[in-house]
Amino acid sequence: MRHTRLLKKPVKVINIALRSLLQHKLRTALSILGVICGVMAVMTMISIGEGAKRESLVQIEQLGTKNIYIKAISLTDVQKKKAMDGRSPGLGAGDAARIRRECPGVTDVAYLKELRASVMAAAKDISPQVVACSANYSGLQSIHVSHGRSLTEQDMVQNNQVCVLGDRVAKNLGLQGHVGNFVRIEDSLFKIIGQLQPFDRKAVKSGAITARNYNEMVIIPLAAAAMFDEKQSINSVSKSSELTEIIVQVRSADQVDSTAKIIRRIMEHAHGGVEDYQVVVPQELLRQSQKIQRTFNVVLGSIAFISLLVGGIGIMNIMLATVSERTREIGIRRSLGATQEDIIIQFLTEAVSLTFSGGLIGVLTGTVCVWLVSTIAKWTTAITMLSFILPLLTSVLIGIFFGLYPAYLAAKMDPIAALRYE
Amino acid sequence: MANLIEANKICKDFQIGVSKIQALRDIDFHANRGDFVAIMGASGSGKSTLLYILGCLDRPTTGTYFLDGQDVSHTTDRELSHIRANLIGFIFQTFNLLPQLNIYENVEVPFLYGSIDGEEIEERVTRAIRQVGLLHRLKHRPSELSGGEMQRVAIARAICMDPVLILADEPTGNLDSQTGLDILKTFEELHDHGATILLVTHAREVAAFARRKLTLRDGKFIETYPITEEAR
Repeated sequence: MRHTRLLKKPVKVINIALRSLLQHKLRTALSILGVICGVMAVMTMISIGEGAKRESLVQIEQLGTKNIYIKAISLTDVQKKKAMDGRSPGLGAGDAARIRRECPGVTDVAYLKELRASVMAAAKDISPQVVACSANYSGLQSIHVSHGRSLTEQDMVQNNQVCVLGDRVAKNLGLQGHVGNFVRIEDSLFKIIGQLQPFDRKAVKSGAITARNYNEMVIIPLAAAAMFDEKQSINSVSKSSELTEIIVQVRSADQVDSTAKIIRRIMEHAHGGVEDYQVVVPQELLRQSQKIQRTFNVVLGSIAFISLLVGGIGIMNIMLATVSERTREIGIRRSLGATQEDIIIQFLTEAVSLTFSGGLIGVLTGTVCVWLVSTIAKWTTAITMLSFILPLLTSVLIGIFFGLYPAYLAAKMDPIAALRYE
Repeated sequence: MANLIEANKICKDFQIGVSKIQALRDIDFHANRGDFVAIMGASGSGKSTLLYILGCLDRPTTGTYFLDGQDVSHTTDRELSHIRANLIGFIFQTFNLLPQLNIYENVEVPFLYGSIDGEEIEERVTRAIRQVGLLHRLKHRPSELSGGEMQRVAIARAICMDPVLILADEPTGNLDSQTGLDILKTFEELHDHGATILLVTHAREVAAFARRKLTLRDGKFIETYPITEEAR
């Protein structure tokens, strides 16, 4: 069986297709407008979606994919009464010890307490957050010091009045913020033993938990927090809470869900059913974020699909007109030996050339659109290979899908009738 | 040696509404390699229908047609296309050039569908255009040519594949008498070089250039006779 020659001479065929299209420049340009809009929409959708995905991934990674957070939460009056009736002690070191003891997959447990204490000599443009935490907190949160050292177990045991400053706090304090100097927190002097590395914080949009701004933190040993008056605890609603947050690390990310279930049971039992805490799993946040993203993608995808559908119908319309207009040419080509497949390929090539050109222009305008979105709306966007390839591939498929019927009609024409067409 | 064309008892019917029209009735037509045959007839006599059947653009309703020893009356559409691409060259009254392509590209079109590849294409296209004397107009579009020049391009396109049979449908119908004469002289030259030409016309003076003349009326040959040198 003879293979179609056109497949062996694709460059020639594409060249002829482009020349035929360029015969009617305005018509060609108008006919691909729909495809341009559709491809632009697809590209923008992918880039915004990818940007949002990356952003939430970074945020979740900052919280730690192997971590589970237990946060003390504010209670309503009814809840407070229930807490007293249930004799819930609030979030405390006992919870941390219980979790460590009873959860099989747990490798480490850290905890902290946020304090309302002011750091003297700090400029007004920053508001350092003083937190008292366990020695393993820095390690578990993967925050490292650029100068000096982190808090140690010895600092806890010896109740040392030492602190580690966030990068911005240290810089803000100037010479006074150097390791070895002292900083006044409320009425007490704390020796600076370390300075944290600068931290690129991504704000988590979910209200459930936020990655702390380590740049503006002052970390002191948990034992040293006792010297601050109980009133200074910002956990004012649940004054009895010893801690603000417990961070539990499990062995592997796939153990997070099962461990979170166990923790919820332990906490429910220990707190007498009083919900004065919240168990937050970053992975769950990621899933929620992905779910929202999917909804967003479906909406934008539908818009893009409709645009492409409209564009495709425009292409089919113009190809039908082209076939009708070039009936005689079809007859000539058939008389010169073109098979039906050759005619199909010829018109399909024209349709695909049309939509691919539209795709290319759409990708270019889409890139500009993505840039505008990130510049004006300040949305995080990401242009990946997929955001180029998928719209272009879609434009080719649109060309094939909507060009096939006109091409088929052209191929099925009676050569003699086509030759006699006036 | 077998005839190049052996068409026996060819009938062609067309169904128009409820009535059936017999365009060709029991046509027997034979031609050897190197023949130059003119088929004459008035409008509606069936000469173009016969030309399209002999040119493998159409199939007879009944009868057999052997071209170069191959039965082409019962072949598939794809095979007919293959035969047209490689064995037959068409020349039409209205030239039928593709307006978006230049002269070179127009002559190159049959190679998109034929069995010749590579550098031979360029060689053959150039040779064909040289043969019709239009090498200096390679890059011109059909719209920039005169009628005679367009028909010469069509001749170049018809001969570039070295077909066994050249079919011409009223090739001088759209030309003035002098240009028509030039075109017919080109046909004579092609015939002198061994080409087999089948020419359909209603004009006696055109048919006179052929070596044999057949006249069709109502789908049947009514006279067949050779044309002498003197008659021409």
